[in-house]
Amino acid sequence: MKRNLMTRREALRAGAMGAGAVALGGIGTAAASAASANTPVTFDMLTWNDHYDPKKQLPAITKETGITVRPTLGSDDGTMFIKAKESHQEFAVVSADALWVPYYHQQGLTVPFDIKSFAVSKQLYSASLDVSFWKAGSNYLAYPRAWSALRIYYNPKYVHPAPTSWEVLLDPKYKGKFVRENQPTDIVAEAGLATGSKNPYNMTTAELSKAKQFLQAAKPAYLDLVSQNTGVVTALANGTAWFTSENLGTDIRVKQAGGPLIKAAIPKEGVVGWLDAEMKMIGPDEDRFEQFINAWGQAEWIPPLFKEFEEAWFNESAYKLLVNAGMKELADAVGYNDPEGALKAHLKGPQKNPGAYIQVFNEVFGA
Amino acid sequence: MSTHPLAAPGPATPVRVSRPRLLARFSQYVGFTPAAVLFGVFFGAPMVMIVLYSFWTQNGYSIESRFTVANYQTIFSTPVYIDTFLTTLWMTAAASAATLAIAFPFAYWLARYVRRGWQRPLLFLVIVPFWVSYLLRVTSWTIILGSKGGLAHLLGLFGLNTPSWFLYDRPAVIFVLVYLYFPYAALTLFSALERFDWRQVRAARDLGATQARALRTVMLPQIRPGITTAVIFVFIPILGEYLTPQLVGGTRGVMIGNLVDNFFEEAQFAQGATVSVLIAAVVVILLIVFRRSLEVGEMYGR
Repeated sequence: MKRNLMTRREALRAGAMGAGAVALGGIGTAAASAASANTPVTFDMLTWNDHYDPKKQLPAITKETGITVRPTLGSDDGTMFIKAKESHQEFAVVSADALWVPYYHQQGLTVPFDIKSFAVSKQLYSASLDVSFWKAGSNYLAYPRAWSALRIYYNPKYVHPAPTSWEVLLDPKYKGKFVRENQPTDIVAEAGLATGSKNPYNMTTAELSKAKQFLQAAKPAYLDLVSQNTGVVTALANGTAWFTSENLGTDIRVKQAGGPLIKAAIPKEGVVGWLDAEMKMIGPDEDRFEQFINAWGQAEWIPPLFKEFEEAWFNESAYKLLVNAGMKELADAVGYNDPEGALKAHLKGPQKNPGAYIQVFNEVFGA
Repeated sequence: MSTHPLAAPGPATPVRVSRPRLLARFSQYVGFTPAAVLFGVFFGAPMVMIVLYSFWTQNGYSIESRFTVANYQTIFSTPVYIDTFLTTLWMTAAASAATLAIAFPFAYWLARYVRRGWQRPLLFLVIVPFWVSYLLRVTSWTIILGSKGGLAHLLGLFGLNTPSWFLYDRPAVIFVLVYLYFPYAALTLFSALERFDWRQVRAARDLGATQARALRTVMLPQIRPGITTAVIFVFIPILGEYLTPQLVGGTRGVMIGNLVDNFFEEAQFAQGATVSVLIAAVVVILLIVFRRSLEVGEMYGR
C-alpha cells in the first residue's frame, strides 16, 4: 500500500493554503454576518418625542446599522400599553415608565436581555443597571434612558414660608395661583401622598376617597392644568402662577424664560417621579435590538436632546459632554449626576383600577 | 289566483329587466360610491366602534367585548357628568348666539350695502385667520387675555384692573370660541343674504310695513335655511370642543370634551366612548329639530 507522503515543502504549502482558506472563510462568514446585521429593516418605535432626534440621530442610525426607525408618538403609559398590546408585534421598541416595564413583561410582550453585553451600556451610570424591578434573573427588562422627580417649585416673593407639605395647596391665600401639567393620574397620586397613602399609584378605594376630598379642598388653588410643561414655565415666568409641581430643573427653565427666582421644595409626604426605558419587544426583529441600542444610546446624541428637553439621562459619558459644552449648571439642576435620586420618588406604574383614578379626577375638575 | 286590476289580460310573463337597464340603474350610483366608501370607512365604521365600546366592559387597561350598561349607569349616576354636560350646553348656546349676533349684522351690511367689487376682498379678510393654525390662534389669546397681556395693558392705561375672568374662566372660553367660529357663521349667512332679493323689502315698506317688520316677515323666513346652517356649523363643533377650554379655560372653564379627553388620556376608552355617544346623541336630536328649517321648499308653499 502506497502512503501519500508529502515533502516538507508540500506540507508547508498545503498548510499555508489551508490557513488561507480558513482565513478567507472566516472573512467570508464575517462579511456575510455583517451583511445580515446591516440588512435594511424598519423599526417601529412607540415612544415619546424626547427619546430621539429625527434630524440627525435617526438618519445616522440608518446609515450605520441599516435600521430605519419609524417613531410613533404615544401620550401616556396606559394608552401606549394598549397600543403595543393590540398591535400584534408591530413595534420593535416601546418606551415605558418605571413599573410599567415589569408589567409589559408580565403580559408577555417583552424579551429580557443581558444588558451588560451591550457595548453602549458601559456609558451608563451603574445605578441605572441595578434597578431591582427591572431585573429578570440575570437579565434586564429594559435599557434605561432618563428620569426625573417632581418638586414643588415656588416663587419665594409670594409663597412664604417655603412649602413643607402638600397642604400648601389648601392655603386660601394661594387661591388660583397653582399651575400644573394636566396629568390626571399623577395629580390624584399627589393627593394620595398628601393624605398619607404609601402607594399613591395603587390606592385603595378608601385612600382614593381621601385623595378626592383633598383635591376638592385644593381645587381653588388650581388656576390651570396645562398640556405641556412650557405652559407651567410661562405661567411662573410671567407671574400668573406662584407655584407648581414640576420636573427637576424648572427653576432654571423659568430663569431662562426671563422669569423670577424660583425655589424648589420637597414636601414631607413625598413626591412622584418617573424613570423611563426602552423595551425589547417580542417580534421578528428582536435580534436587531442590541444593534439599535448600541447606535441609539451613544453619548454623542444626548447633548442636543438635553438642550431641547432638559432631562437627566442615565448616560454618564454624556454628562461629561454636557459639562464640556457649558451646560453643567442645568445638568446638575435636573439631577443628571445624581442617578440614585431617581429611586427616591414614588414611581409611575399601572394601577389596579385606573378608571377609579379618572373618576376621582373628573369629579373634582369637572364643571 | 288574483290578478292586478291594472294588469293587461293575456298570459303572464315574468318581468325581466334587460341587462343594459340593469347597468344603467347601477351606473347612476357609481358617482356616489367614493363618497359612500369614504363615509363608511371614516365615519360609519368609527361611529359603530364608538357605540360598541360604550357597551363593552373596561377591565383595567383592556376592554372586553362583554355587553354592559355599567358605563352609562356610571355617567348618569355621577352628578359631575350631568352638570358638565349642562354647563357645556349653555356655554355652547351662549357662544353660538354671540357668534350669530355678531356675524349677522356683518353679513347683512356686506350683502346689502357694500359694492359687489368690495364684497370679495372683505370676505377674504374674514377667512384670513384660517391660514394660521387653530392651536396658534387660541394660544395667542392666552397672551392677549393674560394678566400681563395686551388687553390688560390697554385697561391699565385707563387705570382699570384686569378682571380675573379675562383668562382661565368660562367667559374667556366663550369669547375665544366666538372669535374662532365667526368666519363660519359670517360666510354662511352672507351666502344666504347674497341671494335675497332686496326689492321685496322695499315692496313691503311701500305697502306700509316698518323696516323691522319687513325684515322679520319677508327677509328672515327666506334666509332661514342659511341661519339654520350657520347655527349647525357653529353649535355642533363647539359642543365637542376641548382644546379651547383647555388652553384658555383653566380649571373653571371645563367642557364635556375635556372629560372625554381625560378618559382617553388614561386609556379608559369605554367610558370615553360612552360620553362621546351621548354628545353624538344630542347632536342627532338637534339635527332632527333643525331639519324642518332646512326644508327650502316649505317656505315657498310647496
